[in-house]
Amino acid sequence: MLSMDYILTIKDDIMSQSTMQESGYDSRTRANVLRVFQWSVAWVGTCALLVFGPKFLWAKVLVFTLLAVGLNVLVGIGAIMANKRYFEELDDLQRRVHLNSLAITVGVAFIVAVPCSVLDSYHVIPFHADVAHLVMLMGLTYGASNLYGTRRYR
Amino acid sequence: MKNRLKVLRAERDWTQAQLADALDVSRQTVNAIEKGKFDPSLPLAFRAARLFGLAIEAIFHDPALDKEESSLATEIKKDTYA
Repeated sequence: MLSMDYILTIKDDIMSQSTMQESGYDSRTRANVLRVFQWSVAWVGTCALLVFGPKFLWAKVLVFTLLAVGLNVLVGIGAIMANKRYFEELDDLQRRVHLNSLAITVGVAFIVAVPCSVLDSYHVIPFHADVAHLVMLMGLTYGASNLYGTRRYR
Repeated sequence: MKNRLKVLRAERDWTQAQLADALDVSRQTVNAIEKGKFDPSLPLAFRAARLFGLAIEAIFHDPALDKEESSLATEIKKDTYA
């Protein structure tokens, strides 16, 4: 005999597939994600300008380099504000998933970064512990823990 | 924490998506609350109570609290008839 829960779940799936209307929350989240993406791309662009500009674009003229630094900081602030808005407008569950992911990411970053730095200074590890490695590790940890959190509450 | 969200939704013939829209949350959140995997915040519980026209405790209740209340009632009965 089919349980009431099972019937309701099937009905929900069918109805949500048939209507497929985007709710206010979904469209707002989509807009916020797009905004974060645009600011992040812009920030990466200014980082590239800061790294390659002095060598390839303005022959290491200090004023232009300082302007590029200023632009990078301003766009970075914009990206932070976009992220802040994104988090503020998430619902309770999504915010918890992201908070857990952030906690795990910060923990992993600290736990890995300090020993790696010490091992690098004593030449124990065969590569130079660069900040880029830490950024990559944080990105991967955040993605994995977010995926885990989303599946956990499904 | 247990809740009657699924029953109340079924009584009104709403889908999870419709309830999520009314509460301004994602469908996953409604699903997680209904399954008891996630406890809503106080503002969200108030929104649900307002939407269904009920008190918060008529939708959400803590089984541990029920147990405490029942043991307290037993003690009062014992004291009364002692």
